[in-house]
Amino acid sequence: MSSTNTLKALMPGDVQSDPARRAMLAEIDASCRVPVLFFVVSGLMWLLLGTLLALVASIKLHNPEFLAAWEWLTFGRVRPAHLNTVIYGFASQTGIGVTLWLMCRLCRVPFPAPGLTTVAALFWNLGLTIGVVGILVGDSTAIEWLELPRYSTPILFFSYALVAVWSVITFRLRRERHLYVSQWYLLAALLWFPWLYATAQIMLLIEPVRGVVQASVNWWFAHNVLGLWFTPIGLGAIYYFIPKVVGRPIHSYYLSVLGFWSLALFYNWNGLHHLIGGPMPAWMITVSVVASVMMLIPVITVAINHHFTMVGHFGKLRHSPTLRFIVFGAMAYTLTSLQGVANSLRSYSEIVHFTHHTVAHAHLGVYGFFTMVMFGSLYYIVPRITQREWPSLALISVHFWGCALGLILYVVPLSYGGILQGLGMNDASIPFLKVVEGTLPWLRIRTGAGLLLALGHVAFVVNLGWLLCRVFGPYRKPVVELFTETGTAAVTAK
Amino acid sequence: MNYGPLLFLGILFTLASSWVGLVLMPNRQLGALTANTSTNDTGVVVVYPQPRHGEAQQGAEHYRSLGCVYCHSQQVRPEGFGSDIERGWGRRRTVSRDYLYDKPVMLGTSRTGPDLTNIGERQSSHDWHYSHLYNPQITSKGSVMPPYPFLFEKRRVPASGPSSDALKLSGEFAVEDGWEVVPRPQARQLVEYLRSLKTTVDLPEAPLPKAAAVEE
Amino acid sequence: MNVIALILLGSVVVVPAVALWSLHWASRTGEFRLLNRAALLPFDDEEPVGQATDQILNRGGDRR
Repeated sequence: MSSTNTLKALMPGDVQSDPARRAMLAEIDASCRVPVLFFVVSGLMWLLLGTLLALVASIKLHNPEFLAAWEWLTFGRVRPAHLNTVIYGFASQTGIGVTLWLMCRLCRVPFPAPGLTTVAALFWNLGLTIGVVGILVGDSTAIEWLELPRYSTPILFFSYALVAVWSVITFRLRRERHLYVSQWYLLAALLWFPWLYATAQIMLLIEPVRGVVQASVNWWFAHNVLGLWFTPIGLGAIYYFIPKVVGRPIHSYYLSVLGFWSLALFYNWNGLHHLIGGPMPAWMITVSVVASVMMLIPVITVAINHHFTMVGHFGKLRHSPTLRFIVFGAMAYTLTSLQGVANSLRSYSEIVHFTHHTVAHAHLGVYGFFTMVMFGSLYYIVPRITQREWPSLALISVHFWGCALGLILYVVPLSYGGILQGLGMNDASIPFLKVVEGTLPWLRIRTGAGLLLALGHVAFVVNLGWLLCRVFGPYRKPVVELFTETGTAAVTAK
Repeated sequence: MNYGPLLFLGILFTLASSWVGLVLMPNRQLGALTANTSTNDTGVVVVYPQPRHGEAQQGAEHYRSLGCVYCHSQQVRPEGFGSDIERGWGRRRTVSRDYLYDKPVMLGTSRTGPDLTNIGERQSSHDWHYSHLYNPQITSKGSVMPPYPFLFEKRRVPASGPSSDALKLSGEFAVEDGWEVVPRPQARQLVEYLRSLKTTVDLPEAPLPKAAAVEE
Repeated sequence: MNVIALILLGSVVVVPAVALWSLHWASRTGEFRLLNRAALLPFDDEEPVGQATDQILNRGGDRR
């Protein structure tokens, strides 16, 4: 009981002071319960499937005979199936769930359309299922990040439009006049994504443009999915959760303005650095290289802001799962962005382009940064919308250490192996098969890292499933009082 | 920073800038590119590139469907940038015009396997391609490319004798007596596509090196 | 090509002008003045500044 008292001591003295406001907060959390949970749970199911596909693909790269007899499980299908399940199934859906909750909280308004949004989520999953099956049976478009066949994407777009419209309406209905930095990022992500996706669909699948223009549209899109969809959601969440958990406002609000607008200005010009050395007019690639270097401004700004807010509060990392994941994510963001700037330089790209180094870099970004931030956000959000606590603290530890160590074991060796691979390929006196042989140890380590990540994911899903079982069980008074009885009562009475 | 409409406009204008710069402008500059007509040394008029037809085009669809692009690039970087040309992946760099009729354009971003821009020139033998697809270890020991047994049919040798296109398998890859492995139509189409991959024509913006041009 | 040159030259003038005007507008209407107040938005009376949340891993052995 003693630690419970410690926690009680941490609560403000006048905790009973304003039941109306408390009821409001609980009502907001309860209003988005169903859609947020639906997005999150289906997102995690896709994560499990995506992890499985990733493991299969990873093993195939050092054991080419593995599952080679089946056409639908050949490497060239499993790899895009993995990418699309984790990007559109897990990351996008979880990102949407977190966005909805943050929007409602920061706008201080209950979510206006929980039912409709849940239906939209249903359609998103339907479209994606059709699309991923399509990839496995051979209808992949072979355009990276856009492999989902043409017949599935309109369902995704329709579903997304519904969610985005209602999120923007939530923003319009806001009761708080002031806007917090997270809201700019979230609003921007909500508006940028449909523009990107529609452009890519129309110019690549519906009415394909000619020749290599496809490549420029492709990489403008693919890099922006990262830069203008996942990054703003991730940064928005970090900007909310670090101050919220440590109980201290962000280091410098002025810097956050600079960080946001410089990201908006420069990130969307980055994409064509994926085509360095390729058959494009030089100006296009140069523009992207310049913009990639300019990314130093938002990255350093955001890094100062996030890490300086943490100074003096690192002790709280021990006690808060949210903070652990979020701070890990913020650090990975700084690292992956700096690595990205380096990768975009012509002299460095000459070595690492076409190698596994790029794969490691992509995972440091999408996993180390975005996924970890989403995990952290869920540790905060789920107990508040379900009014249940995480059943197992041990599983939380397994989740964190599995993912954190798994990611480090993934990124560090593979980045290094990728550089060796690139140096080998650029030396024409080394036979190509010798270079391939040199990558094998790193690819095997990657499979081991994947197993660690999988362990973390399973721990998380078990913990969440356990928690959700308790939602259907009787309400128990939680150890940490997230809500008073009045708040709960106000919601159930509604 | 509390004024919604301003935020909204800022969000739209920033993305509009790169949409114009990296989507519309490339389309304006390259979208109207046409094939190049030239006369070669022997006085024959050459129009390059040409759209693919028939089996080669069907093969391109299998190349797309099987996801070959995830390990094989189709672009030759210029001399002095990487060692693409020294490795014999092409005699000249590739340029926008080379990809005029590709749908989709499969430039690729990974070289887990070698570049295939000129695989048709480097390996023109059907036999090599069939053996390589059936099991890459036959032609390239130590390769990490998966075998594609499902592109082939293992069947009893017909009464009329072994099929002309049966794979010549020996050693550890040999099949039992009385059986043979023949390519399915997909394999034939894919190989036609691979054999069609070559950039051996001079372009004004990317001339072949002189020595090679004389040799031609 | 002349059209593009014209557009480019025009935007060299127009874009900074719009940027300057919006900066001027923003500072005039006090968009910057209340900046630091917005930093307090994640907090409210329930969970004020100075109070850490989500400290659930120090519950130790006595869970129930």
